[in-house]
Amino acid sequence: MQGNDHSVVRAVLAGDKEAYGTLVRAHSAAVFRVAFRIAGNEADAEEIVQETFLRAYQRLEKFEQRSTFGTWVYRIAVNCALNRVGQPGIEAEYTHGEESDLEMKTVQVATQDADPERVLLGREVSAAQETAMRRLTATEKCAFVLRHLEDRSMSEIAEVLGVAPNAAKQAVFRAVQKLRRELAPLRGNA
Amino acid sequence: MKHLSEDEQMEMYYDEGSEAAKAHLKACRQCAAEYAKFKRSVDAIKAEEIPQRGPDYGDFVWQALRPQLIPYEKKTAGWQGLSWWKTATAAAACLALMTAAFIGGRFWEHRTSTGSDLAANVQPQQRVVVVVLTDHLDRTERLLVQLNHADSGDKVENAQLQTEARELLASNRLYRVSANKEGDPALAGALDRLERVLAEVANDPHLTAADLERVRKDMNTSGILFEVRVLLARKPNQESGPMSAKGVSI
Repeated sequence: MQGNDHSVVRAVLAGDKEAYGTLVRAHSAAVFRVAFRIAGNEADAEEIVQETFLRAYQRLEKFEQRSTFGTWVYRIAVNCALNRVGQPGIEAEYTHGEESDLEMKTVQVATQDADPERVLLGREVSAAQETAMRRLTATEKCAFVLRHLEDRSMSEIAEVLGVAPNAAKQAVFRAVQKLRRELAPLRGNA
Repeated sequence: MKHLSEDEQMEMYYDEGSEAAKAHLKACRQCAAEYAKFKRSVDAIKAEEIPQRGPDYGDFVWQALRPQLIPYEKKTAGWQGLSWWKTATAAAACLALMTAAFIGGRFWEHRTSTGSDLAANVQPQQRVVVVVLTDHLDRTERLLVQLNHADSGDKVENAQLQTEARELLASNRLYRVSANKEGDPALAGALDRLERVLAEVANDPHLTAADLERVRKDMNTSGILFEVRVLLARKPNQESGPMSAKGVSI
Protein backbone atom coordinates (compact mmCIF):
# COMPACT_ATOMS: atom_id res chain seq x y z
CA MET A 1 0.00 0.00 0.00
CA GLN A 2 2.83 2.35 0.91
CA GLY A 3 4.61 1.84 -2.41
CA ASN A 4 1.30 2.14 -4.20
CA ASP A 5 0.55 5.41 -2.40
CA HIS A 6 3.94 6.76 -3.45
CA SER A 7 3.32 5.94 -7.10
CA VAL A 8 -0.10 7.59 -6.88
CA VAL A 9 1.49 10.70 -5.36
CA ARG A 10 3.98 10.81 -8.26
CA ALA A 11 1.11 10.50 -10.74
CA VAL A 12 -0.76 13.37 -9.08
CA LEU A 13 2.35 15.55 -9.15
CA ALA A 14 2.76 14.69 -12.82
CA GLY A 15 -0.64 16.26 -13.51
CA ASP A 16 -3.07 13.37 -12.95
CA LYS A 17 -5.56 15.02 -10.59
CA GLU A 18 -7.95 12.08 -10.70
CA ALA A 19 -5.32 9.82 -9.13
CA TYR A 20 -5.69 11.79 -5.90
CA GLY A 21 -9.16 10.28 -5.57
CA THR A 22 -7.52 6.93 -4.82
CA LEU A 23 -5.71 8.39 -1.81
CA VAL A 24 -8.82 10.18 -0.57
CA ARG A 25 -10.92 7.01 -0.75
CA ALA A 26 -8.25 4.96 1.02
CA HIS A 27 -7.66 7.32 3.96
CA SER A 28 -10.95 9.17 4.47
CA ALA A 29 -12.24 6.86 7.22
CA ALA A 30 -9.08 7.13 9.33
CA VAL A 31 -9.01 10.89 8.95
CA PHE A 32 -12.68 11.15 9.88
CA ARG A 33 -12.14 9.01 13.00
CA VAL A 34 -9.38 11.17 14.47
CA ALA A 35 -11.13 14.35 13.37
CA PHE A 36 -14.32 13.30 15.15
CA ARG A 37 -12.49 12.34 18.33
CA ILE A 38 -10.78 15.69 18.55
CA ALA A 39 -13.61 17.88 17.29
CA GLY A 40 -16.31 15.95 19.09
CA ASN A 41 -19.06 16.35 16.49
CA GLU A 42 -19.81 15.14 12.99
CA ALA A 43 -20.19 18.49 11.31
CA ASP A 44 -16.77 19.73 12.36
CA ALA A 45 -15.24 16.34 11.64
CA GLU A 46 -16.61 16.46 8.07
CA GLU A 47 -15.13 19.89 7.52
CA ILE A 48 -11.81 18.79 9.00
CA VAL A 49 -11.70 15.86 6.56
CA GLN A 50 -12.26 18.18 3.60
CA GLU A 51 -9.70 20.68 4.84
CA THR A 52 -7.18 17.93 5.52
CA PHE A 53 -7.27 16.47 2.03
CA LEU A 54 -7.28 19.92 0.46
CA ARG A 55 -4.18 20.94 2.47
CA ALA A 56 -2.51 17.65 1.70
CA TYR A 57 -3.09 18.17 -2.02
CA GLN A 58 -1.69 21.69 -1.89
CA ARG A 59 1.41 20.50 -0.01
CA LEU A 60 1.86 17.28 -1.92
CA GLU A 61 5.21 18.45 -3.32
CA LYS A 62 6.53 18.58 0.26
CA PHE A 63 5.48 15.00 0.98
CA GLU A 64 8.63 13.05 1.75
CA GLN A 65 8.66 9.67 0.14
CA ARG A 66 10.30 8.06 3.18
CA SER A 67 7.10 8.36 5.26
CA THR A 68 3.74 6.82 4.45
CA PHE A 69 0.99 8.95 3.01
CA GLY A 70 -1.36 7.68 5.74
CA THR A 71 0.91 8.93 8.54
CA TRP A 72 1.50 12.21 6.76
CA VAL A 73 -2.18 12.94 6.15
CA TYR A 74 -2.99 11.83 9.72
CA ARG A 75 -0.70 14.55 11.08
CA ILE A 76 -2.29 17.12 8.83
CA ALA A 77 -5.72 16.02 10.08
CA VAL A 78 -4.67 16.39 13.73
CA ASN A 79 -3.35 19.88 13.02
CA CYS A 80 -6.52 20.86 11.21
CA ALA A 81 -8.60 19.52 14.08
CA LEU A 82 -6.40 21.23 16.64
CA ASN A 83 -6.77 24.55 14.81
CA ARG A 84 -10.50 24.11 14.61
CA VAL A 85 -10.96 23.13 18.26
CA GLY A 86 -8.59 25.91 19.31
CA GLN A 87 -10.61 28.61 17.57
CA PRO A 88 -11.93 31.16 20.10
CA GLY A 89 -15.52 30.85 18.89
CA ILE A 90 -15.59 27.11 19.40
CA GLU A 91 -13.89 27.32 22.84
CA ALA A 92 -16.43 29.95 23.91
CA GLU A 93 -19.24 27.75 22.70
CA TYR A 94 -17.92 24.83 24.75
CA THR A 95 -17.49 26.99 27.87
CA HIS A 96 -20.93 28.50 27.47
CA GLY A 97 -22.70 25.15 27.63
CA GLU A 98 -20.66 23.44 30.30
CA GLU A 99 -22.08 24.92 33.54
CA SER A 100 -25.72 23.94 32.97
CA ASP A 101 -24.65 20.48 31.74
CA LEU A 102 -22.63 19.89 34.91
CA GLU A 103 -25.49 20.83 37.22
CA MET A 104 -27.93 18.69 35.29
CA LYS A 105 -25.51 15.75 35.43
CA THR A 106 -25.15 15.93 39.23
CA VAL A 107 -28.88 15.99 39.86
CA GLN A 108 -29.75 13.26 37.41
CA VAL A 109 -27.05 10.81 38.52
CA ALA A 110 -28.16 11.07 42.14
CA THR A 111 -31.66 9.86 41.32
CA GLN A 112 -30.78 6.80 39.16
CA ASP A 113 -31.63 3.40 40.74
CA ALA A 114 -33.86 1.23 38.56
CA ASP A 115 -32.33 -0.99 35.83
CA PRO A 116 -34.29 0.56 32.92
CA GLU A 117 -32.84 3.82 33.96
CA ARG A 118 -29.26 2.56 33.93
CA VAL A 119 -29.31 2.95 30.18
CA LEU A 120 -30.15 6.52 30.68
CA LEU A 121 -27.42 6.72 33.32
CA GLY A 122 -24.90 5.45 30.80
CA ARG A 123 -25.95 8.17 28.41
CA GLU A 124 -25.56 10.73 31.12
CA VAL A 125 -22.08 9.47 31.93
CA SER A 126 -21.16 9.81 28.27
CA ALA A 127 -22.56 13.32 28.22
CA ALA A 128 -20.57 14.17 31.35
CA GLN A 129 -17.43 12.81 29.79
CA GLU A 130 -18.09 14.78 26.65
CA THR A 131 -18.55 17.91 28.71
CA ALA A 132 -15.37 17.20 30.66
CA MET A 133 -13.51 16.70 27.43
CA ARG A 134 -14.72 20.06 26.21
CA ARG A 135 -13.27 21.72 29.29
CA LEU A 136 -9.80 20.68 28.26
CA THR A 137 -7.65 23.04 26.29
CA ALA A 138 -7.19 22.20 22.62
CA THR A 139 -3.67 20.91 23.20
CA GLU A 140 -4.68 18.83 26.22
CA LYS A 141 -7.62 17.32 24.41
CA CYS A 142 -5.58 16.58 21.32
CA ALA A 143 -2.75 15.04 23.34
CA PHE A 144 -5.17 12.94 25.38
CA VAL A 145 -7.08 11.70 22.32
CA LEU A 146 -3.88 10.72 20.58
CA ARG A 147 -2.47 8.91 23.63
CA HIS A 148 -5.53 7.44 25.24
CA LEU A 149 -7.83 6.77 22.30
CA GLU A 150 -5.52 6.58 19.29
CA ASP A 151 -2.72 4.82 21.21
CA ARG A 152 0.02 7.03 19.77
CA SER A 153 3.38 7.26 21.49
CA MET A 154 4.50 10.38 23.35
CA SER A 155 7.15 11.11 20.71
CA GLU A 156 4.55 10.95 17.93
CA ILE A 157 2.27 13.26 19.85
CA ALA A 158 5.11 15.67 20.45
CA GLU A 159 5.94 15.70 16.74
CA VAL A 160 2.33 16.28 15.69
CA LEU A 161 1.82 19.05 18.23
CA GLY A 162 5.23 20.57 17.55
CA VAL A 163 6.28 20.48 21.20
CA ALA A 164 8.96 18.72 23.26
CA PRO A 165 8.16 15.11 24.32
CA ASN A 166 8.03 16.13 27.96
CA ALA A 167 5.57 18.91 27.16
CA ALA A 168 3.38 16.41 25.30
CA LYS A 169 3.53 14.07 28.31
CA GLN A 170 2.55 16.87 30.67
CA ALA A 171 -0.37 17.79 28.40
CA VAL A 172 -1.63 14.20 28.56
CA PHE A 173 -1.21 14.10 32.34
CA ARG A 174 -3.04 17.38 32.87
CA ALA A 175 -5.88 16.12 30.69
CA VAL A 176 -6.14 12.88 32.71
CA GLN A 177 -6.12 14.79 36.00
CA LYS A 178 -8.86 17.13 34.85
CA LEU A 179 -11.03 14.34 33.49
CA ARG A 180 -10.71 12.25 36.64
CA ARG A 181 -11.65 15.24 38.74
CA GLU A 182 -14.61 16.07 36.53
CA LEU A 183 -15.89 12.53 36.47
CA ALA A 184 -15.23 11.70 40.15
CA PRO A 185 -18.85 12.38 41.27
CA LEU A 186 -20.07 9.77 38.79
CA ARG A 187 -17.66 7.00 39.74
CA GLY A 188 -19.32 6.06 42.99
CA ASN A 189 -22.75 5.86 41.41
CA ALA A 190 -22.23 4.49 37.99
CA MET B 1 9.66 3.84 50.40
CA LYS B 2 7.59 6.74 49.25
CA HIS B 3 4.24 5.75 47.74
CA LEU B 4 3.43 6.36 44.08
CA SER B 5 2.24 9.80 43.12
CA GLU B 6 -0.56 10.42 40.60
CA ASP B 7 2.03 11.23 37.91
CA GLU B 8 3.82 7.95 38.60
CA GLN B 9 0.51 6.10 38.42
CA MET B 10 -0.12 7.75 35.05
CA GLU B 11 3.32 6.70 33.88
CA MET B 12 2.55 3.14 34.94
CA TYR B 13 -0.80 3.28 33.17
CA TYR B 14 0.78 4.38 29.89
CA ASP B 15 3.65 1.85 30.20
CA GLU B 16 6.23 4.52 30.95
CA GLY B 17 6.80 3.73 34.61
CA SER B 18 10.28 3.23 36.02
CA GLU B 19 11.53 -0.14 37.22
CA ALA B 20 11.60 1.13 40.79
CA ALA B 21 7.94 2.19 40.52
CA LYS B 22 6.99 -1.20 39.12
CA ALA B 23 8.82 -3.00 41.91
CA HIS B 24 7.18 -0.80 44.52
CA LEU B 25 3.74 -1.44 43.07
CA LYS B 26 4.29 -5.17 43.44
CA ALA B 27 5.49 -4.82 47.00
CA CYS B 28 3.11 -2.16 48.35
CA ARG B 29 -0.53 -3.18 48.86
CA GLN B 30 -1.64 0.37 49.47
CA CYS B 31 -0.15 1.61 46.21
CA ALA B 32 -1.54 -1.41 44.35
CA ALA B 33 -5.01 -0.59 45.62
CA GLU B 34 -4.63 3.07 44.73
CA TYR B 35 -3.36 2.18 41.29
CA ALA B 36 -6.28 -0.22 40.70
CA LYS B 37 -8.65 2.59 41.58
CA PHE B 38 -6.76 4.96 39.29
CA LYS B 39 -6.83 2.45 36.47
CA ARG B 40 -10.57 1.94 36.75
CA SER B 41 -11.18 5.66 36.59
CA VAL B 42 -9.05 6.15 33.53
CA ASP B 43 -10.35 3.03 31.84
CA ALA B 44 -13.81 4.48 32.28
CA ILE B 45 -12.88 7.30 29.93
CA LYS B 46 -13.84 5.56 26.79
CA ALA B 47 -13.82 6.68 23.26
CA GLU B 48 -16.97 8.18 21.96
CA GLU B 49 -18.72 6.01 19.50
CA ILE B 50 -17.61 7.03 16.08
CA PRO B 51 -20.55 7.69 13.74
CA GLN B 52 -20.51 5.07 11.06
CA ARG B 53 -19.57 6.04 7.56
CA GLY B 54 -20.64 3.94 4.60
CA PRO B 55 -18.28 2.28 2.15
CA ASP B 56 -18.87 5.10 -0.30
CA TYR B 57 -17.75 7.71 2.20
CA GLY B 58 -14.40 8.07 0.38
CA ASP B 59 -16.22 8.75 -2.88
CA PHE B 60 -18.39 11.30 -1.13
CA VAL B 61 -15.31 13.13 0.19
CA TRP B 62 -13.61 12.97 -3.19
CA GLN B 63 -16.60 14.30 -5.10
CA ALA B 64 -16.84 17.23 -2.72
CA LEU B 65 -13.12 17.91 -2.90
CA ARG B 66 -12.51 17.33 -6.60
CA PRO B 67 -13.78 20.70 -7.98
CA GLN B 68 -11.47 22.59 -5.62
CA LEU B 69 -8.30 20.95 -6.90
CA ILE B 70 -6.16 22.44 -9.62
CA PRO B 71 -4.09 19.85 -11.49
CA TYR B 72 -0.34 20.03 -11.01
CA GLU B 73 1.54 21.09 -14.09
CA LYS B 74 3.73 18.40 -15.51
CA LYS B 75 7.25 19.22 -14.43
CA THR B 76 9.85 19.83 -17.07
CA ALA B 77 12.87 17.68 -16.58
CA GLY B 78 15.53 19.50 -14.64
CA TRP B 79 18.90 18.26 -13.50
CA GLN B 80 17.21 15.93 -11.02
CA GLY B 81 15.01 14.50 -13.76
CA LEU B 82 17.95 13.46 -15.89
CA SER B 83 19.15 9.90 -15.72
CA TRP B 84 22.76 9.34 -14.69
CA TRP B 85 23.96 8.54 -18.21
CA LYS B 86 22.38 11.71 -19.61
CA THR B 87 24.06 13.72 -16.90
CA ALA B 88 27.36 11.98 -17.62
CA THR B 89 27.01 12.66 -21.36
CA ALA B 90 26.29 16.32 -20.73
CA ALA B 91 29.29 16.55 -18.40
CA ALA B 92 31.55 14.86 -20.99
CA ALA B 93 30.33 17.24 -23.70
CA CYS B 94 31.07 20.23 -21.47
CA LEU B 95 34.54 18.84 -20.74
CA ALA B 96 35.25 18.29 -24.45
CA LEU B 97 34.08 21.80 -25.26
CA MET B 98 36.30 23.29 -22.57
CA THR B 99 39.29 21.27 -23.81
CA ALA B 100 38.71 22.35 -27.41
CA ALA B 101 38.39 25.97 -26.30
CA PHE B 102 41.64 25.69 -24.32
CA ILE B 103 43.61 24.11 -27.19
CA GLY B 104 42.10 26.51 -29.71
CA GLY B 105 43.01 29.41 -27.49
CA ARG B 106 46.59 28.23 -27.15
CA PHE B 107 46.88 27.70 -30.95
CA TRP B 108 45.39 31.10 -31.71
CA GLU B 109 47.72 32.73 -29.23
CA HIS B 110 50.70 31.02 -30.88
CA ARG B 111 49.65 32.15 -34.35
CA THR B 112 49.03 35.70 -33.22
CA SER B 113 52.37 35.89 -31.50
CA THR B 114 54.10 34.52 -34.66
CA GLY B 115 52.45 37.22 -36.77
CA SER B 116 53.50 39.84 -34.27
CA ASP B 117 57.05 38.54 -34.39
CA LEU B 118 57.10 38.88 -38.19
CA ALA B 119 55.76 42.41 -37.95
CA ALA B 120 58.32 43.15 -35.29
CA ASN B 121 61.09 41.85 -37.60
CA VAL B 122 59.89 44.01 -40.48
CA GLN B 123 59.82 47.23 -38.50
CA PRO B 124 63.60 47.43 -37.79
CA GLN B 125 64.26 46.73 -41.47
CA GLN B 126 62.03 49.62 -42.49
CA ARG B 127 63.70 51.76 -39.86
CA VAL B 128 67.13 51.04 -41.46
CA VAL B 129 65.80 51.86 -44.94
CA VAL B 130 64.39 55.18 -43.74
CA VAL B 131 67.68 56.07 -42.04
CA VAL B 132 69.65 55.22 -45.18
CA LEU B 133 67.26 57.15 -47.43
CA THR B 134 67.33 60.11 -45.06
CA ASP B 135 71.10 60.06 -45.20
CA HIS B 136 70.96 60.00 -49.02
CA LEU B 137 68.54 62.93 -49.11
CA ASP B 138 70.71 64.86 -46.64
CA ARG B 139 73.76 64.43 -48.82
CA THR B 140 71.74 65.40 -51.91
CA GLU B 141 70.47 68.54 -50.20
CA ARG B 142 73.96 69.53 -49.23
CA LEU B 143 75.08 69.01 -52.84
CA LEU B 144 72.24 71.09 -54.19
CA VAL B 145 72.98 73.85 -51.70
CA GLN B 146 76.63 73.77 -52.70
CA LEU B 147 75.61 73.95 -56.37
CA ASN B 148 73.38 76.89 -55.58
CA HIS B 149 76.24 78.76 -54.00
CA ALA B 150 79.12 77.34 -55.99
CA ASP B 151 81.72 79.55 -57.63
CA SER B 152 81.56 78.59 -61.27
CA GLY B 153 85.23 79.53 -61.73
CA ASP B 154 86.55 77.21 -59.04
CA LYS B 155 87.48 74.02 -60.92
CA VAL B 156 88.52 72.08 -57.81
CA GLU B 157 85.22 72.71 -56.17
CA ASN B 158 83.42 71.75 -59.37
CA ALA B 159 85.31 68.46 -59.56
CA GLN B 160 84.37 67.63 -55.97
CA LEU B 161 80.75 68.39 -56.75
CA GLN B 162 80.84 66.08 -59.77
CA THR B 163 82.38 63.22 -57.75
CA GLU B 164 79.72 63.62 -55.06
CA ALA B 165 77.02 63.81 -57.76
CA ARG B 166 78.19 60.52 -59.32
CA GLU B 167 78.04 58.67 -56.00
CA LEU B 168 74.64 60.08 -55.25
CA LEU B 169 73.43 59.29 -58.76
CA ALA B 170 74.17 55.57 -58.32
CA SER B 171 72.42 55.28 -54.99
CA ASN B 172 69.55 57.54 -56.12
CA ARG B 173 68.87 55.18 -59.04
CA LEU B 174 68.51 52.25 -56.63
CA TYR B 175 66.18 54.20 -54.37
CA ARG B 176 64.03 55.31 -57.31
CA VAL B 177 63.64 51.75 -58.61
CA SER B 178 62.77 50.52 -55.13
CA ALA B 179 60.26 53.35 -54.64
CA ASN B 180 58.57 52.37 -57.89
CA LYS B 181 58.40 48.73 -56.75
CA GLU B 182 56.97 49.71 -53.36
CA GLY B 183 54.30 51.81 -55.05
CA ASP B 184 55.38 55.21 -53.66
CA PRO B 185 54.90 57.51 -56.71
CA ALA B 186 55.63 60.75 -54.82
CA LEU B 187 59.04 59.54 -53.69
CA ALA B 188 59.76 57.85 -57.02
CA GLY B 189 58.89 61.08 -58.95
CA ALA B 190 61.03 63.24 -56.69
CA LEU B 191 63.95 60.83 -56.95
CA ASP B 192 63.49 60.76 -60.75
CA ARG B 193 63.77 64.53 -61.07
CA LEU B 194 66.66 64.55 -58.63
CA GLU B 195 68.35 61.86 -60.71
CA ARG B 196 68.24 64.01 -63.86
CA VAL B 197 69.96 66.89 -62.06
CA LEU B 198 72.54 64.60 -60.50
CA ALA B 199 73.14 62.97 -63.90
CA GLU B 200 73.65 66.33 -65.56
CA VAL B 201 76.15 67.43 -62.93
CA ALA B 202 77.92 64.07 -62.77
CA ASN B 203 78.20 63.40 -66.48
CA ASP B 204 79.18 66.79 -67.82
CA PRO B 205 82.97 66.54 -68.50
CA HIS B 206 83.43 70.25 -68.68
CA LEU B 207 81.23 71.76 -66.09
CA THR B 208 81.31 75.45 -66.96
CA ALA B 209 79.91 78.37 -65.07
CA ALA B 210 77.07 78.55 -67.60
CA ASP B 211 76.23 74.90 -66.98
CA LEU B 212 76.08 75.42 -63.25
CA GLU B 213 73.86 78.45 -63.71
CA ARG B 214 71.47 76.43 -65.89
CA VAL B 215 71.32 73.58 -63.35
CA ARG B 216 70.63 76.13 -60.59
CA LYS B 217 67.74 77.58 -62.63
CA ASP B 218 66.32 74.10 -63.31
CA MET B 219 66.52 73.21 -59.66
CA ASN B 220 64.72 76.36 -58.59
CA THR B 221 62.14 76.13 -61.35
CA SER B 222 61.16 72.55 -60.69
CA GLY B 223 61.45 73.01 -56.96
CA ILE B 224 63.69 69.98 -56.55
CA LEU B 225 65.42 71.41 -53.53
CA PHE B 226 62.04 72.09 -51.85
CA GLU B 227 60.87 68.61 -52.71
CA VAL B 228 63.96 67.05 -51.16
CA ARG B 229 63.39 69.07 -48.00
CA VAL B 230 59.76 67.90 -47.82
CA LEU B 231 60.85 64.32 -48.29
CA LEU B 232 63.41 64.73 -45.58
CA ALA B 233 60.74 66.08 -43.26
CA ARG B 234 58.29 63.28 -44.18
CA LYS B 235 60.50 60.24 -43.82
CA PRO B 236 61.06 60.27 -40.06
CA ASN B 237 57.28 60.71 -39.45
CA GLN B 238 56.42 57.70 -41.60
CA GLU B 239 58.21 55.47 -39.14
CA SER B 240 55.35 55.50 -36.64
CA GLY B 241 52.43 56.51 -38.86
CA PRO B 242 50.18 54.60 -41.19
CA MET B 243 52.56 55.26 -44.06
CA SER B 244 55.30 53.34 -42.31
CA ALA B 245 54.64 50.35 -44.52
CA LYS B 246 55.56 52.48 -47.50
CA GLY B 247 59.08 53.43 -48.47
CA VAL B 248 61.83 51.72 -50.31
CA SER B 249 63.64 48.53 -49.62
CA ILE B 250 67.16 48.03 -50.73
